[in-house]
Amino acid sequence: MTNERHGQISTTNLKQRFFLWSTLILLGGGLLLSALSFWNTRRLLMAEALAKSEVILQEVEAIRAYVKEELRPKMNELHGSDTFIIEAMSTTYISTTIMEHFSGFMPNYIYRRASLNPHNPRNLADSFEEEMFDWFEADSGRSFWQGVVKKNGEAYFISMVPDYLGTDCLPCHSKVEDAPQSLLDRYGSKGGFRYQTGDLAGIDSVAIPVSASLREAWRGSLVIFMITLGGSVVLLWLLNLLFQHLVIERLGVMLSLVIEKKRGTGAPGPGDELDVLHASLGSLRSYVRSARKGAALQPNFVGDYVVDRPIVAGAMSWLYSGYSVISNDKVALKLGFDEVLQNPLYRACLETELQLFETLSHPCLPGVRERIGDVLVVEEVQGRSLNSLLSSGRLADQSLLPVFEQLCDLTATFHAAGIVHHDLRPQILMLDEKESLRLIDMGLAASDQLPDPIVAAGLGPQGDLLYMAPELIQARRGDPRSDIYGLGVLLFLATTGHLPFSEGRKSAQKWLQHKEEITSPRKYRASLSLGLEQIILKALSYDKKKRYQWVEDLWEDLEREGRQFSENGEPG
Amino acid sequence: MRLLVFSDIHGNLEALQCILRDAAGRNVHRSICLGDMVGYGPYPNECIEVLRSLKNCRCLAGNHDVAVSWKTSPYGMSSAAKEAILWTMDQLSDENKDYLATLPDRLDLADMTFVHANPYNPRGWRYVLDRKYALRSFAATRCRRLFIGHSHRPLIITRRHLLAIDLQAVSGSMRYRVDDTRRRIINCGSVGQPRDKDPRSCYLIFDSRKQELEFYRVAYDIEKSAKAIRSAGLPLELGKRLYRGI
Repeated sequence: MTNERHGQISTTNLKQRFFLWSTLILLGGGLLLSALSFWNTRRLLMAEALAKSEVILQEVEAIRAYVKEELRPKMNELHGSDTFIIEAMSTTYISTTIMEHFSGFMPNYIYRRASLNPHNPRNLADSFEEEMFDWFEADSGRSFWQGVVKKNGEAYFISMVPDYLGTDCLPCHSKVEDAPQSLLDRYGSKGGFRYQTGDLAGIDSVAIPVSASLREAWRGSLVIFMITLGGSVVLLWLLNLLFQHLVIERLGVMLSLVIEKKRGTGAPGPGDELDVLHASLGSLRSYVRSARKGAALQPNFVGDYVVDRPIVAGAMSWLYSGYSVISNDKVALKLGFDEVLQNPLYRACLETELQLFETLSHPCLPGVRERIGDVLVVEEVQGRSLNSLLSSGRLADQSLLPVFEQLCDLTATFHAAGIVHHDLRPQILMLDEKESLRLIDMGLAASDQLPDPIVAAGLGPQGDLLYMAPELIQARRGDPRSDIYGLGVLLFLATTGHLPFSEGRKSAQKWLQHKEEITSPRKYRASLSLGLEQIILKALSYDKKKRYQWVEDLWEDLEREGRQFSENGEPG
Repeated sequence: MRLLVFSDIHGNLEALQCILRDAAGRNVHRSICLGDMVGYGPYPNECIEVLRSLKNCRCLAGNHDVAVSWKTSPYGMSSAAKEAILWTMDQLSDENKDYLATLPDRLDLADMTFVHANPYNPRGWRYVLDRKYALRSFAATRCRRLFIGHSHRPLIITRRHLLAIDLQAVSGSMRYRVDDTRRRIINCGSVGQPRDKDPRSCYLIFDSRKQELEFYRVAYDIEKSAKAIRSAGLPLELGKRLYRGI
């Protein structure tokens, strides 16, 4: 969406992200609230059902105790010990009959006496009750069970207690010949016998239906969710108005200035408005630094040289263009950043850099004219940085091999001299019209013959994480294979015009994850040869043992691949 | 990557130029000189300058290089060696003396270590020619391949297990595969004063892709070198031994 107000080009990215996250958080909150409400209602329902079922069970137990201890002895006293009147002396019959009457008034409380071998076939245990018999029999210490059971599509909360046979029950439940005639007349001799003292004769249970209550709880949760959803929509609308007025419109004004400024140098980079502003503030800081540096020189002279405009910033220093007042020769001057010169640790890095420039000789390194204190005067650096060339797209096919030949040769020279650069990136590589490459910064380089201040100080990763090998992100310096990774990123960028990773502010851990999941360069350029793709992916291997071990091997493969392109006339 | 490894030039410019010409046609990427650029021979400055101008070349310090800088005394050496050192001290330019004084004793490159004599006492200059000193050398490093010079005899020592080695003298030009996981000490022989009864200069190339060592022997104009030794006023025996390779 393009918003033309205040000259904005695009102010929807940040807004979209803000509202997407707000919606997700509000929806998630609504869902969580509903779930918590349902869980709490269900918990209360269960607690209530447990309390009720316990009361019913105790009541039944009291009836059975009364029959056993009061009614049956009195009947024996009145009618003789041989008499057995079921309606007045059978604990099971009396308790079951009373509870049947009770359920006539209270249909939601279902009492049941179940047995595996009952006198009355109505009391025969069903499959669930059979399972519970097994459960109680497995451990005689188990005296209570409760839970939710589904029967005939209805959920019941059920409480159960076991009933073990006592000595006084044996006349009716032991041998058929000892049983009272009235019992045999009513139920026959088929079931209810052959028990011994202590046997599990039956299970008393109370079932309370809970499906309706659970449905109520679910409906309540749904209502809460719907209310939250409605509230969220209203809240989001209000936030939208507020965010648009307080942030987006003002941000748009700032952004329009930035984009206007960047229009000349190319399209804004990926990322939202804040990323664009962040990048712009970075450039502004660089500009202020250079302005400060220029202003600090009173007048802008270093020895016999006049300091002109800044060319590019390195890791520890600025490179300025300048000229000699004596010979009028054009030169470049390397001046440390203020903060580098004030910090002993970074000053040691700058000293290493200057020493390396002074001692190393290579066509891709600007020749050193002289050193004046902390300032290194080198020969003039012409051309544009590789970064500005690549910002408008990939490198021309015919330039790829000449550029990388120089780059690989330079890296091989470093490695042969025991130097690891650690910071190969397009910003510090200058390419002139004759395609001569110049490396103008070695601020993070380390030599095996010099102490490395960064390692000595135990500093974390230094440099641009985008071009950094995974081991450098883990602050493990000094391995030449880290430079091969940097070359891999440059090769990816030069052949496709894209970086293998998206820019943006990420944690080191996040960067490591990104480096592990490398995108194929053919995703950005389908015509890229398989051979070149393999070379790039090998150079970008996360595991340094799987990477090219020597930069010369990388160059040989690249050269072979390049030769094939030129023979076959295919794009490289 | 193809790595040229050579050692013990001892001021023999003729031999050095011959091996560099020979190696130039063998697609070499980097070079490592394991020390003793000077001593015995009549062209110390010239040899140092050739090596300094060689692209992607690193040099280590040998016992003769250290002795000419007075970092160790030359009086512990044989009389001919001592005489040659004292002569060399007079010949060397200040710049080359400074260069020799800054040379490192040891280099580590990926899974390879390079020293002049041995890694356990680099400035003790003990020869590694038998089991005892080979095992000490293995114990002093963790690398897979240790490249040494100093004894002027090309040699491959393979560690069989913790206490045993295989010692194989290298005769003539030959190829040797090192693609297994065994640790090895590789002596690249001498450029300027071979002592294995073969007077030809010796050097080796390590091919990291093929995992192969290529030993080369190159004949050079010994007469010219011997004559230069005589002309320089160095002990005559130093010229004579070049013919016999001892």
